[in-house]
Amino acid sequence: MITIKNAALRKVLKIIIPFLLVPLALAIGIFVLEEKSYTFISIAVSILALVLFISGFEKKKTGTRRLVIVAVMTALSVVGRFIPLFKPITALTVITAVYIGGEAGFLVGAMSALVSNFWFGQGPWTPFQMFAWGMIGLIGGLLSKYLKKSHALLIIYGVFSGIVYSFVMDLWAVLWHNDVLTAEIYIAALVTAIPYTVIYSVSNMIFFALLAKPFGEKLERVKLKYGV
Amino acid sequence: MEILKIEDLSFSYPLCEKKALKNISFTVERGDFVTVCGATGSGKSTLMRMLKKELIPLGELTGKVYYKGKDLDTLSEKETTCSIGFVAQRPEEQIVTDKVWHELAFGLENMGLPKDVIRRRVSEMTCYFGIEDWFEKSVNELSGGQKQLLNLASVMVMQPDILILDEPTAQLDPIAASDFIATLSKLNRDLSLTVVITEHRLEDVIPAGNKLLAMENGEIVKYGETRSAISALYGNKTLIEGMPAAVRIFNNFEINTPCPLTVREGRDFIEKNFSNEIRSADKKEQKNEKKDAVLEFSDVYFRYERDLPDILRGLDFTVYENEIFCILGGNGSGKSTSLSAAAGINKPYSGNIKVFGKKIKDYKNGDLYKNCLSLLPQDVQTVFLKNTVKEELADVNMDTSDLPYDLSELNERHPYDISGGQQQLLALAKVLSTKPKLLLLDEPTKGLDAYAKKSIMDVLKKLRALGMTIVCVTHDVEFAADCADRCAMFFRGEITSCSSPKEFFSGNSFYTTAANRMTRGYYGGVTTVADAVEIMKKNGAATK
Amino acid sequence: MKAFDGYNPIAVFIYYAAVVSVGMFCMNPWIIGFSLVGALVTFFIRNKLSGAKSHLFFLLMFAVMVIINPLFNHNGVTVLLVINDNPITLEAIIYGIASGAMIIGIIYWFRSFSQIMTSDKLLYLLGSISPKFALILSMTLRYIPLFEKQTQKVVHAQQALGLYRDDDFLSKIRGGIRVFSVMVTWVLENGVITSDSMTARGYGITKRTHFSIFKFRRHDIILTVTTVILFAVMLPTLITGAINFEYYPKIVGEETTVFSVLAYISYGILAFLPTITEAEEKIRWKYLKSKI
Ligand SMILES: Nc1ncnc2c1ncn2[C@@H]1O[C@H](COP(=O)(O)OP(=O)(O)OP(=O)(O)O)[C@@H](O)[C@H]1O
Ligand SMILES: Nc1ncnc2c1ncn2[C@@H]1O[C@H](COP(=O)(O)OP(=O)(O)OP(=O)(O)O)[C@@H](O)[C@H]1O
Ligand SMILES: [Mg+2]
Ligand SMILES: [Mg+2]
Repeated sequence: MITIKNAALRKVLKIIIPFLLVPLALAIGIFVLEEKSYTFISIAVSILALVLFISGFEKKKTGTRRLVIVAVMTALSVVGRFIPLFKPITALTVITAVYIGGEAGFLVGAMSALVSNFWFGQGPWTPFQMFAWGMIGLIGGLLSKYLKKSHALLIIYGVFSGIVYSFVMDLWAVLWHNDVLTAEIYIAALVTAIPYTVIYSVSNMIFFALLAKPFGEKLERVKLKYGV
Repeated sequence: MEILKIEDLSFSYPLCEKKALKNISFTVERGDFVTVCGATGSGKSTLMRMLKKELIPLGELTGKVYYKGKDLDTLSEKETTCSIGFVAQRPEEQIVTDKVWHELAFGLENMGLPKDVIRRRVSEMTCYFGIEDWFEKSVNELSGGQKQLLNLASVMVMQPDILILDEPTAQLDPIAASDFIATLSKLNRDLSLTVVITEHRLEDVIPAGNKLLAMENGEIVKYGETRSAISALYGNKTLIEGMPAAVRIFNNFEINTPCPLTVREGRDFIEKNFSNEIRSADKKEQKNEKKDAVLEFSDVYFRYERDLPDILRGLDFTVYENEIFCILGGNGSGKSTSLSAAAGINKPYSGNIKVFGKKIKDYKNGDLYKNCLSLLPQDVQTVFLKNTVKEELADVNMDTSDLPYDLSELNERHPYDISGGQQQLLALAKVLSTKPKLLLLDEPTKGLDAYAKKSIMDVLKKLRALGMTIVCVTHDVEFAADCADRCAMFFRGEITSCSSPKEFFSGNSFYTTAANRMTRGYYGGVTTVADAVEIMKKNGAATK
Repeated sequence: MKAFDGYNPIAVFIYYAAVVSVGMFCMNPWIIGFSLVGALVTFFIRNKLSGAKSHLFFLLMFAVMVIINPLFNHNGVTVLLVINDNPITLEAIIYGIASGAMIIGIIYWFRSFSQIMTSDKLLYLLGSISPKFALILSMTLRYIPLFEKQTQKVVHAQQALGLYRDDDFLSKIRGGIRVFSVMVTWVLENGVITSDSMTARGYGITKRTHFSIFKFRRHDIILTVTTVILFAVMLPTLITGAINFEYYPKIVGEETTVFSVLAYISYGILAFLPTITEAEEKIRWKYLKSKI
């Protein structure tokens, strides 16, 4: 049973891992190590992502209902990933983060990546996707005050995070394939991914414009009726 | 020993002025089997939830519940979850995991019991309930009846002292339902388990229990030992309507003996007090005029997926214009599947279905659904799309004044926030709004009290008089006996027998009404309580 | 019963962790070769020749990786030709092939892994790490088919009421949105109801036990011990870099020693363990059947 028992430690981990340790690992891997940077980065980030993920589960019950809402939203976004081209994972992750909280958002993002990969192919990229999508949720939760107020801001955040997500995943793909990062090949990867990124951003925009309000209402109703 | 004591309990849901429960007080002794009855929306489900701390809905609550003399609020979580077991109204609601074995172990895992204890208890319950065969199955593959049995078993592994059940048999076929009740009554006897159960079909439940609690509008009308409670309800038309056939027959006569409850007691009562010189009511033979066929199945085969077994195996039947055609049959025999096929949703791989003489395939552009045919599905929640009852009715341009029942009280509620029976009525209203000529109903009376059922029966008869044809799948034999023109038995994807209700129910020995079982061999051709009363009145007192 | 289906999930997981971790981080051609062939054979034994389309996709992916690398990566000393002032080197081509083979190998390992790890096995595995996580996962996995099924049911119900048309594209989309919207309400509502049912049955009161119907049998022990031994034999060479292989600027491998040969043999056996157990099982079953 791996759970992190100390609440303070959990809190600290939740902040330093994504904002300090992971960037640090990336920097070391890319700039310090001359070779084997992939080996280092992938192992380091996988472990950090796992620790972060586990620290998302508290030992004491934080309300089973919240947990179930996470499961339900995850299921929704996994089902949504079957729609060709349009992938609502980012949208649902952010919406959950804004209305239920950053932690729930993190879990929905990470879980969606993990679960949907059972259909789309599990691989060494899974921890990275979990981390990337989880972060989109976590940051969305931190910004929830502003995102709730302004619809435009929400859309901007959604589209922006979608783009950053593809950049990060491209970075990872280049590293995996090449073991070292050169600016040239990374740019080449980004260029080949342009059409994909565009579709992705547009679909995110549509999703946020369409889903944010009705989802918000529904989540609010559940909150009112059941006091989540 | 007093196991439950409820003191002056009142409850109202958020944003609702009307109280769902008003000043409820009663006590339950250890080993009691309490049946809770009452009309749709009278607050039975709400009351049941009050007894299970974890399930108390959000709202304003006053009053106290004591379990073994201790306030429910002061008890530890472990105590309340283990000793009070709850089985919910809809079987799907309660299932948490995806495998049967895991579902059984779930509660025990939560208690943190050692693995070998879990293994022992799970295997013991598996044997007791006879579910070895599907132990490793996925829960999605189970039929409704199996799911409900699994729910009961997975509560029973926790070894509760008291079991609370909210309409557990609403979706079960008559045989599965009476088996389920028999299991409960066995648990009650074997383990002196206390049982509190709400039901609308009281035929089997009331004889199994020793106490009765009758509710009306959130208040207790009567609580006490079954027979005496029933005799106190004689004047109450709506409540008596739902009682077992023996009670209803008894209630038609002024004879000073204890009220019969079971079929056997009813039979004794009849034999003792009435002669049987006139053996059978003269049948009003229906003139067999040739009518047009409205719905024809000819040799229909259907399966859900290529690799799954056939669900409809050569289904063959015809429904004629202007009749009410009732289909009965076991859980999972394929009744709902055949209705969906009739509505053009399930497409058979072989055979033909004709609606008004035209093949379903030949209807284009949704013509099939334009003032032609309409289906009320088994799961009525699938009918609702909107946020309030009012919007729901406005969505289909329903004029509420046409409705034979009143839903205006619920106008502003969310369709998911009304009682099970009320959802049923709302869905029926939506279906009727399409003004079909052929109406397909899948278990329209489940979760409805006898009174509401009667009003639905009147609606259906009125619609028939207006020329509508109605096909109705039901588990309710009383309902079928009363309003059907023809009844059909569904068995393993086929209709095995089909005849008028009188013939149909006289021919069956289990799949038949209580009134029929009670009078079998004494009178002939009796299927409903009304039939029985009529012939008993004709015969008059027994000459001894 | 196909290779590894009947094994304890923990044993299977340890095996895959060993075979994949070495295969993923070691760019030695021997290791890559064993990993690729072992992964493919394991997958094909399980699936015969079905799913040709997906194989074609991965073949294509392999080709793209082989072509792209020399086009963008100009390290290496052996220049074969020059395109637009950019040298195409032999080393880059070979590295492309090697890394493509490595990636395809890993992908096929993961493919057979996800086939063996059915949802209940996965839960068993995760349950011993984090029960709460296992539970969320279990519910998510249950809600996915449930959601699809219920959506179907709602669509059908609305169709039969004449409220859902799909004759043209626009009404299809409109109907789709109506249904999706109500499905969200439904799934949230049902989610909360399920969570109530969980609390009602004591979820979250104390530390959960994780009950399962999987046992650790003799063949699981054998598999785990074999995996650990083989891995242990490789470990020194992995740590000291005795089987490292350089592609740039020039292709050079470390010297072949007894240890590196041992490491190759160990990995070879490791990569073919599923195949070996499958064969062994078949033979034993034949023998047992002959005694019936
Ligand atoms: N979540 C809710 N929010 C608001 N009102 C509700 C909610 N659930 C039920 N009600 C109302 O409370 C009253 C009692 O409902 P309850 O479900 O207890 O009835 P019931 O006796 O179980 O009926 P049925 O036999 O149809 O199941 C009804 O008028 C119902 O509309
Ligand atoms: N969508 C589906 N996919 C696969 N199998 C199904 C599906 N729906 C129903 N079945 C199976 O078809 C059989 C018949 O189901 P159906 O719902 O028609 O039974 P029923 O007679 O209406 O039962 P009940 O009285 O419980 O409603 C069952 O064994 C069921 O498991
Ligand atoms: Mg109810
Ligand atoms: Mg059915």
